[in-house]
Amino acid sequence: MSSTITSWGDKNPARLRTTNLIRIGFAIVLLIGWEAISRSGIFLRDVVPSLGPIALAIFKLVQNPVFYANLQATAFEIAMALGIGSALGIACGIIIGSRPFLSAAFEPYIYYMAPTPRIIFFPVMIMWFGVGVASKIALGAMSCFFVVALATADGMRQIDRVLIRVGRSFRATSLQMAFKIYLPAMRIPVLNGIRLGFGTAVVTALLAETKLSNQGLGFMVMQTYSRFDMPSLYGLLIIIFIIAGLGNAVLGRFANTAHHS
Amino acid sequence: MTLAAPSTTHAVQSQSKDNALTVDNVYKQFGANDAPVIAVDHMSFDVRQGEFVTVIGPSGCGKSTLFSIIGGLMGDYQGQVRVGNEPINGPHPAVGMVFQEESTFPWRNVIENVAFPLELNGIGKAERHERAQHFINMVGLAGFEKRLPSELSGGMRQRVSIARTLVSQPKILLMDEPFAALDEQTRLLLGDKITQIQQELNQTTLLITHNLTEAVQLSDRIVVMTYRPGRVKRIIDIDLPRPRTSDVVSSAAFGKYVAEIWGDLREEASRGMADSESHAVKDAARG
Repeated sequence: MSSTITSWGDKNPARLRTTNLIRIGFAIVLLIGWEAISRSGIFLRDVVPSLGPIALAIFKLVQNPVFYANLQATAFEIAMALGIGSALGIACGIIIGSRPFLSAAFEPYIYYMAPTPRIIFFPVMIMWFGVGVASKIALGAMSCFFVVALATADGMRQIDRVLIRVGRSFRATSLQMAFKIYLPAMRIPVLNGIRLGFGTAVVTALLAETKLSNQGLGFMVMQTYSRFDMPSLYGLLIIIFIIAGLGNAVLGRFANTAHHS
Repeated sequence: MTLAAPSTTHAVQSQSKDNALTVDNVYKQFGANDAPVIAVDHMSFDVRQGEFVTVIGPSGCGKSTLFSIIGGLMGDYQGQVRVGNEPINGPHPAVGMVFQEESTFPWRNVIENVAFPLELNGIGKAERHERAQHFINMVGLAGFEKRLPSELSGGMRQRVSIARTLVSQPKILLMDEPFAALDEQTRLLLGDKITQIQQELNQTTLLITHNLTEAVQLSDRIVVMTYRPGRVKRIIDIDLPRPRTSDVVSSAAFGKYVAEIWGDLREEASRGMADSESHAVKDAARG
């Protein structure tokens, strides 16, 4: 059942142990390989720094208030982008999905707009919203919107028609239909859409920060790069990787709980 | 005005004051005007206050179309459906529908399912649970309030749907083959439950079915429909004693009614069968 939701747990304990061993082993091999390459001197020492300096850089970063200010800026951008993009995406998805003629009229737009890289709209967003957080929120919300709207419109089509007839027979209002029938009936596809939307919002916001910005983790990455502070750069990348993973895991947990209720 | 055949035992009483529901000359066709499929062809009948009426007809005769029209879920038809003297225009609060398909909300437990119509009307949680509980007890599901539909049998889920409709206290209970997906024994027992509830609430009921036994077991009157176009073929009074239980199926009078209605239906059903067979042959010929 949970084919659409990443499931890391295995019911079989022996198999679970093997899986965990492989996972940990892979991480160790990766670290040893990294360290070996660093010490071999194939690349410049500064390009592939040793694990020690990277660990030290991470340790320094998590004590640096500047890091937290940037983290907060990025988290705010992503949260706002996710909130705005999801809310608009769900609303549009329900409206489009509830009327066949609307879905026929509008879905091609969304469908063909969805894979267009949002970053090309970044210059426009900068002109409209400036170089601060607002332009990143706008861009992130835009990328999140398409993913969630498509998932919702698709979820609308999967709702059991008789449940809609039940709602109509009890004379539910449009809002009641949306909140008491459509949304609970398609909570799983919608939550999965939001999870994908989160991913694209993170990508878009960070990408935009590396292009032109005055704060955020992407901005910080470019700063460390321009100082050629490679240990800090790698440390930052690892931290971003962990944060994105955690965010995804939290949303995945939500989707899973919905699955079982 | 009535287009029903002279064999109709009851004149259509559209003027009568105690008519809970009047179906007056209803006509519905699908498809283009040059090649229309007539689903309901000028049907007229009524349901009196407190009466249990069944519309019976072969598969594909337009029963479900009629159900949707009376429930207000299908517009664009000719004729009129009246609740009392008021013509309906969309779903009417006096008509409570029970659907043929599985229609409980899988994400709501039994009591939340049953309380759904009250929730739509903004009734507070304590009161709606109290009122829902009353009907849960009535359909015999006490003790299952917190269960999800997935934890219940098909017959229990259908009883949840019936309780959910009853809680909205409809003047007319409108059911479309509510037991179609159930086995014969469950069907007979649920029929008992329906009879019992109907007598307890003096519930005016219109049942739509293709099942002869069910129709005779439950009804005061039966409207027999023809196969395509769907017309009223005959309206038959069922003079079996009340209170009634499923034991009635073994009585001689019951058998006589079933035989009589089958006599009417046989011709219609075989036309329906011939029709679907010829479609199958055509489909096969087309490849």
